[in-house]
Amino acid sequence: MKRFPKRVLTPFLALTLAACATQPEQPREPAPAPAPEAQQLPAPPPERVPPPRAETTAVAGLMDSARTDTAAGRLTNAAATLERALRIEPRNARLWHELALVRFRQGDYAQAESLAARSNTLAGNDSDVRSANQRLIDDARSARR
Amino acid sequence: MARRTKLRKFLRFALLATLLAAAGFTLYLDIRVRDEFEGRRFALPARIYARPLELHVGLRMPQADVVDELKLLGYRDIPRPGEPGWYLREENRLEIALRPFVFWDGAQPARSVSVAFEGGKVSMLRDAAGTDVPLARVEPLAIGGIYPAGNEDRVLVRLTEVPQHLVHALVAVEDRSFYRHAGFDVRGLARAARSLFTDRVQGGSTITQQLVKNFFLTPERTIRRKATELVMAVLLEIHYDKNEILETYLNEIYFGQDRDRAIHGVGLAAQFYFGKDVQYLSVAESALLVAMIRGPAHYDPYKHPARTLERRNLVLRETREQGQISLEQYAAARGSPLGVARKSMGTSPYPAFLKLVHRQLRRDYDEKDLRSEGLRIFTTLDPRAQGAAENALTKRLAQFDKEKRFGQPGLEGAVVITDPQSGEVQAMVGGRDVRYSGYNRALDAGRPVGSLLKPAIYLTALSEPSRYTLLTPIDDGPFLWKSRGAPDWEPLNYDKKFHGMVPLRLALAHSYNAAAARLGTDLGIEKVLANVRKLGVERDVRPFASSMLGAVDMSPFEVAQMYQTIASGGFRAPLRSIREVTTQDGKPLQRYPLAIEQAFPPEPIYLLAAAMQDVVREGTGQSLKSYLPPEVTVAGKTGTTDEQRDAWFAGFSGDRLAVVWVGYDDNRAARLSGSAAALPIWGDLMSALSPEPLALARPPSIEMVSIDPQSGLRGGVSCPGAVELPFMQGSAPQERAPCSGPMDAAVEAAGEVGKAVGQGVERAKSWLERLFGR
Repeated sequence: MKRFPKRVLTPFLALTLAACATQPEQPREPAPAPAPEAQQLPAPPPERVPPPRAETTAVAGLMDSARTDTAAGRLTNAAATLERALRIEPRNARLWHELALVRFRQGDYAQAESLAARSNTLAGNDSDVRSANQRLIDDARSARR
Repeated sequence: MARRTKLRKFLRFALLATLLAAAGFTLYLDIRVRDEFEGRRFALPARIYARPLELHVGLRMPQADVVDELKLLGYRDIPRPGEPGWYLREENRLEIALRPFVFWDGAQPARSVSVAFEGGKVSMLRDAAGTDVPLARVEPLAIGGIYPAGNEDRVLVRLTEVPQHLVHALVAVEDRSFYRHAGFDVRGLARAARSLFTDRVQGGSTITQQLVKNFFLTPERTIRRKATELVMAVLLEIHYDKNEILETYLNEIYFGQDRDRAIHGVGLAAQFYFGKDVQYLSVAESALLVAMIRGPAHYDPYKHPARTLERRNLVLRETREQGQISLEQYAAARGSPLGVARKSMGTSPYPAFLKLVHRQLRRDYDEKDLRSEGLRIFTTLDPRAQGAAENALTKRLAQFDKEKRFGQPGLEGAVVITDPQSGEVQAMVGGRDVRYSGYNRALDAGRPVGSLLKPAIYLTALSEPSRYTLLTPIDDGPFLWKSRGAPDWEPLNYDKKFHGMVPLRLALAHSYNAAAARLGTDLGIEKVLANVRKLGVERDVRPFASSMLGAVDMSPFEVAQMYQTIASGGFRAPLRSIREVTTQDGKPLQRYPLAIEQAFPPEPIYLLAAAMQDVVREGTGQSLKSYLPPEVTVAGKTGTTDEQRDAWFAGFSGDRLAVVWVGYDDNRAARLSGSAAALPIWGDLMSALSPEPLALARPPSIEMVSIDPQSGLRGGVSCPGAVELPFMQGSAPQERAPCSGPMDAAVEAAGEVGKAVGQGVERAKSWLERLFGR
């Protein structure tokens, strides 16, 4: 029960989330100051990136738990977990993207945009991540307006 | 008769008055006792923790360094069945019995893991059942506190956590009739009364009286104070039950000094003297703590082991006589050594870092709360990086002092290490006396930075790819700058020579002043200084040409902030020392999240970092080669100021950024250049940390082109010493060098095709991976 289903679970979870995902609404409030962090009401995620590839098991596990937290609206925890993963794999473009998503849902559009831009600089040829970042940046920009 | 009546009346009145006064006083004491005892919450210091070590497969940390960290945490190197906090080392493996810990995001129970190492990395991580585990978090090192008055430190414990044998020993030795008396003991009182006249220090106080004495009263010995103590003890007994009194006593009692820190309570004493939580104290260890209560300085297990052992055995004997331990327990405990494993740290072993944490905390918290609420502060300090920085700095400064024979006061220095991606501060050394909590040079010493500012000039140039590439010739001829309101400025080179036209990257690598000054003034001083600000320098920089060449005072911390922006590909992240804050019982209060801001597009930063790698490859920093293996690429910059008063080195690998400053506090000429004094410290500390090579992500619009260094034109394998250099697409020279043959052109063309094919393969791969959920 422990090892096999995990791999199945990750894409499954992502698919489920992707199915629920809608385009974000126009925001009602300006982005809060980045620090210290405040727990915001979750906004719907703009889109989901397919599950990560080639992560170490440590990072894959953290990413799973961050997604669980995100789905449950525990955004502060999700962000903390993603930061923890980034300390292990600072050059993982998908982690930066996931963190950008969480910031977006927290209403911190400025950080969402910066983090997505950071993700882009590390994405190399990963066109999925690149386009997901671009959409997120566009959404964050229109949300800030 | 009338006189007798009068006298009687007077006596009656006097008696009444005395009774009333006594009653009033008692009432006053009663209010005080209840008020203070009930309202009394021990002032608990904010407790500050280092980052927790996260073990996972692939972690770049050799076994010896993991063992060092476990030792710092007070882990013993022999198994202790049934109790966590030990490790077992077997060749390239470690068995670790991890202690439980309440982290920011929840409690983690005690667990055992098995770790294997290979080539300086963790190669396997399993739990006790032999199952692979992705991640194991070791509890963080406590690195100090922000203490209440008197630097009183304690760890609160519940009576239920304290082993019974400790309580039995305490009662047997300090107050045998504790569970029966009403706050005082008649025989004890008699002894105390005698001692008032004989001037001999006598115990005789009950546990309740001792508590009253510590809690409410001054230590003088007068009849009045003794009487007050007595009344208060009785009042305490009336209001509270024995267990409440005992629990408070166990948390209050003093167990000696750790330098400037006062150890209070059995909870902290257990950790401080035995490196374990109180519930794990053995019979012998408990007896030792009880033995110390009478006089922690007199019965100091380190300074007076024989005397202390004797008293411990006396405690054991009395406990045995009271029938509270079995004969076997007694015999075993009596035969065991003192067993203390004290790790001394005073208020903090890392005062410079603590100062940074304290400063960042004060923005959000009251000083009073920090000193009393027992907040738990989780910081970014990496004890391994801190240790490497301290060792490198102290060792090298001692060596330079010896060579210089300048006498006292000696050279000083400071180090800051950060994580370039997140801006987390991993280490900070504020001076050569690393335990000294005074002047923190890493934070507060503003010193001229010299050439450390030059990257801002070159970054400004490389931001205009149509005008400047890494190969653009820069004139390093004599240079004179006249401007109104400032004296003429004629920067000279370090070697007192001029070098004519030099390629941009080498002008930076060799830190030529005339070239940099000319380039900077050509670009515009304001433009360059604007980029200095964008890099993260917040202090005002005067708009003079000389500012660009480092006539600006900055602290090592500020330099680290500036270089962080370069190291992270143009994203500025405020340097942070705190991750999370929780209440005393682990409830999260606040997070200090990772925050970044794109200050520069990735392309010019990539080009600049390439030039800064040339500093280390062939420029002023090339002696670093003897510190790091060739595959570990790093980028950096040396800095030396007028008359060599300040020596700097700032640079970064893939995973760490470090800034080193060396100089004299009184600004004397140190006669040491950045590469002679600061670079060796940087090299020492980096090599101790098995750094990851610098591998900046290459932006898609940057292409790598082989260049013949002689002609500065397109080269290839046929050109000796050809170097691969990055260019903005379309900005590389088109012409081929004379040495370049037809083969090279063919290879280049094939490379283009290969790249396209590679991208196709990459796409197919990621599609497959997605299909299979990897």
